[in-house]
Amino acid sequence: MRGKEIQTKDKHIQNLAKIVGGVQSILYKKEDLLAYDCDGFTIHRHLPKAVVFPKNTQEVAEVVKYCNENNLPFLARGAGTGLSGGAIPLNGEVIISLVRMKRLLSVDLENRRAVVEPGFVNLKLTQSISDKGYYYAPDPSSQYCCTIGGNVAENAGGAHCLKYGVTTNHILGLEVVLPNGEIIEIGKNGIPDQPGYDLLGLLTGSEGTLGIVTKITVRILKNPEAKQTVLAYFDKVSDASQAVSDIISEGIVPAALEMMDKTAIEAVEAAAFPVGHPRDIEALLLIEVDGISAGIDEQIHQILRVCKNRNVREVKVAQDEKERERWWANRKTGFGAMGAISPDYLVQDGVIPRSKLPEVLERIKKISEKYGLRIANIFHAGDGNLHPLVLFDAKKPGETEKALAAGSECLKVCADVGGSITGEHGVGIEKREEMRFIFNDEEIMAQTNIRDVFNPKNLLNAGKLFPTPGRCVEVKKERKEVITS
Amino acid sequence: MSLKESDLKKDPACTINSLGNYLWSDPPDENKWADCVHCGMCLESCPTYEQTGQEQHSPRGRVHLIKSVAEGKLEVNEAFADPVFACLDCRACTTACPADVDVGGLIEEARGQIRQAMPLTGWKGVVSKFFLQGVFPNQDRLHLLGSLLKFYQKSGLQKVVRKTRLIHIMPEHLVEMEAILPEVKQPVRKKYKHADVIKAKGETKRTVALLTGCIMDVMFSDINEATINVLTRNGNDVVIPQNQTCCGALHVHAGDREMGRKLAKQNIEAFKDAEKVIVNAAGCGCMLKEYPELFREDPEWRKKAEEFSAKVEDISKYLHDTDFEKPKAEIKTRITYHDACHLAHGQGIREEPRNILRSIPGVEIVHMPNADRCCGSAGIYNITNPEMAGAILESKMKNVPEDVEIISMGNPGCMLQMAMGVLKYGRNQRIVHTVQLLDWAYQKEDSLKEGKG
Repeated sequence: MRGKEIQTKDKHIQNLAKIVGGVQSILYKKEDLLAYDCDGFTIHRHLPKAVVFPKNTQEVAEVVKYCNENNLPFLARGAGTGLSGGAIPLNGEVIISLVRMKRLLSVDLENRRAVVEPGFVNLKLTQSISDKGYYYAPDPSSQYCCTIGGNVAENAGGAHCLKYGVTTNHILGLEVVLPNGEIIEIGKNGIPDQPGYDLLGLLTGSEGTLGIVTKITVRILKNPEAKQTVLAYFDKVSDASQAVSDIISEGIVPAALEMMDKTAIEAVEAAAFPVGHPRDIEALLLIEVDGISAGIDEQIHQILRVCKNRNVREVKVAQDEKERERWWANRKTGFGAMGAISPDYLVQDGVIPRSKLPEVLERIKKISEKYGLRIANIFHAGDGNLHPLVLFDAKKPGETEKALAAGSECLKVCADVGGSITGEHGVGIEKREEMRFIFNDEEIMAQTNIRDVFNPKNLLNAGKLFPTPGRCVEVKKERKEVITS
Repeated sequence: MSLKESDLKKDPACTINSLGNYLWSDPPDENKWADCVHCGMCLESCPTYEQTGQEQHSPRGRVHLIKSVAEGKLEVNEAFADPVFACLDCRACTTACPADVDVGGLIEEARGQIRQAMPLTGWKGVVSKFFLQGVFPNQDRLHLLGSLLKFYQKSGLQKVVRKTRLIHIMPEHLVEMEAILPEVKQPVRKKYKHADVIKAKGETKRTVALLTGCIMDVMFSDINEATINVLTRNGNDVVIPQNQTCCGALHVHAGDREMGRKLAKQNIEAFKDAEKVIVNAAGCGCMLKEYPELFREDPEWRKKAEEFSAKVEDISKYLHDTDFEKPKAEIKTRITYHDACHLAHGQGIREEPRNILRSIPGVEIVHMPNADRCCGSAGIYNITNPEMAGAILESKMKNVPEDVEIISMGNPGCMLQMAMGVLKYGRNQRIVHTVQLLDWAYQKEDSLKEGKG
């Protein structure tokens, strides 16, 4: 492409370019940087100072070291599909893009683990090992394009996490560049459950505030012997949610148990992967069971019976892999599909006790009416992880603010009924303030103190994950002065 | 009121229908980007993102930049032109997008603005003007070019040039291209110049008009011949309207929408009486189907374009939909199929050509991983962006199965590019258009019959 030389006098850009190997591995012009002013969360936009594309751990470490020594704020970015703004350069950061570190380094079937670089795309891992009968379990809806490094940072979940757990349950080891440029390894040799503090657990889901992951050892699983998928249409949300509870209390642990409400169905049917769902139902369930062949049919019968007892209008079992894939493509592109019925959307990520579902949906409906904004619900019903999607038009003055307020109220409802403000998307920028719904100032301080151990200058991804507690305002201010001076 | 004041009250001429920093008419369509929610599902589908890992070279990145110009955040300048022109216009992102965002359309509209804001200068401008305006739309000059090429190949000049290494005065990617130039034969437009209609073999069931294409008819007239053969074989009278011209896809890809409109109007007129317009080049077919996009600001021509576009059909889909005769002779070969972007992503035609291949007894189809990934040809992209096109071709060739004899596809640009790939990476596959295989099977059937009779 254009330009063989760096065309700026900024010495930081020149020095960073030297570290990563020249003009092809750094972006610094406004036109290019603009593509990095947000991630999947588009409400806040800030230009980074530069984007660098290191090829290996060493280069990452050197970039970090340089930023640390020169007090340049910095952060790591993968595919930028995060939904809470974790990769947005709020402070004009130097973005360290890890997408060129995208190798699958090793696969060890005997010990059921694989080592990947952070830019390796989630779905590619399963594709690389499926012919040998293995797969990687965490499957966020963005798995077609999101990176495993990003999954670690956000502790990503997915439709099949009900049975198999979220990312943290599948991480065996990490190589991490600390905010001072030091390279450390935790969970050596991929041996699970090492003695001492669970640093893997701490790092996973730290939203890129404690270090930058440069190598990941993950657990891989043997493909289940059999798999069956059921689609059930309900006239009433309450029946659908009661069916969810019934299925779990029957002792079945489905691999996935998903719900979509009427507005969500309208969107996916108007978008690129329609299935032909009836438009006049209030909710649908997508249920998948897997495991050894022997018990599957029995489980499917139980599920069909439960649905019928809860007045299901129509229920069917996928006839082949193609049909199953079609149903899942329809569900997994659900967020993007909102584009077909609304110019903008804001997705929330609350967790609630399953039993509270009908009540919560009713309250969300009230919020929708109060703000005059439509809210669609896509829901990992099995584990109570609710995704209300607030639909709005950013071009209409004041509507973005209304959407944010409506989203926040949805989370308040989740917290009120004994749930949480995020299941899998992370806090990022979006839910910083909502952290107060579940933590008081002392609790937040306790956590930022942990951050300070790893990230004392707070140069790495500052301004994410936590609100600024009132009493540390002064301390922060001082620090900011140090940083900017 | 002084003259100056009245001038101020009027809109300056260039702001009619402008949008933000797009100062010319026909700017990128707001409704096209309104559906993009920046989810990123397009990233992995994009060949230039795969190569660079940079988001300004990804679909959502490009949409974001195009939108930013409309919002006044960016200017139409060199730095904006780079990501917009690095796009292959392969449309893979349109397939991947959950909200059906027409990224390809936005790219073409943005290129239209860029070319008006900053016309090509220097040798690039001269070359582009010479070919896009002087040669492709001009039948006589095209045929002259064909004759020159033919002379080059037949006279021994080609051998001399290659042997004396005179050829190395060309950039490397052009040397590679020269090496795979197909043997030039007589264009069908010349051949059938005086035939009003080429009659169906046997009873006439339908009449169709054929777009012969510009490059297609010079470089690949044998594919046009094959197309005519399979059409007449299946009961179609074939008409070749003589005042037809280049489809304009290369012009629109290059941002010359004005020329695109001119050519579109000529073709709409030329095919006025046709009920069906058959196309055997995916890129052309896609363009013809998108003519209405060129007339967003001209309701009268837009309507005509819509009526015209509804008549356009790719040859493989047409044969498939009209229940083509299944060949009886056996061609024993192993084939893999490459989805031309403008067939698979542009027109949603994937299974029809494969079904045609499957219908030939003896043909075994071997699956090509990522068959619908761009080969890097992308119109004249391999000439304008050789480095990127080369990298994309390399990853394409890695996906071509080792043990096949033929790679089949439905687009001449891809055929040249893939032929170059075969040569460059020491492979030995033949590159064949889908209808050519069908034609061979019919011919074999006939010669067997004759032999018996």
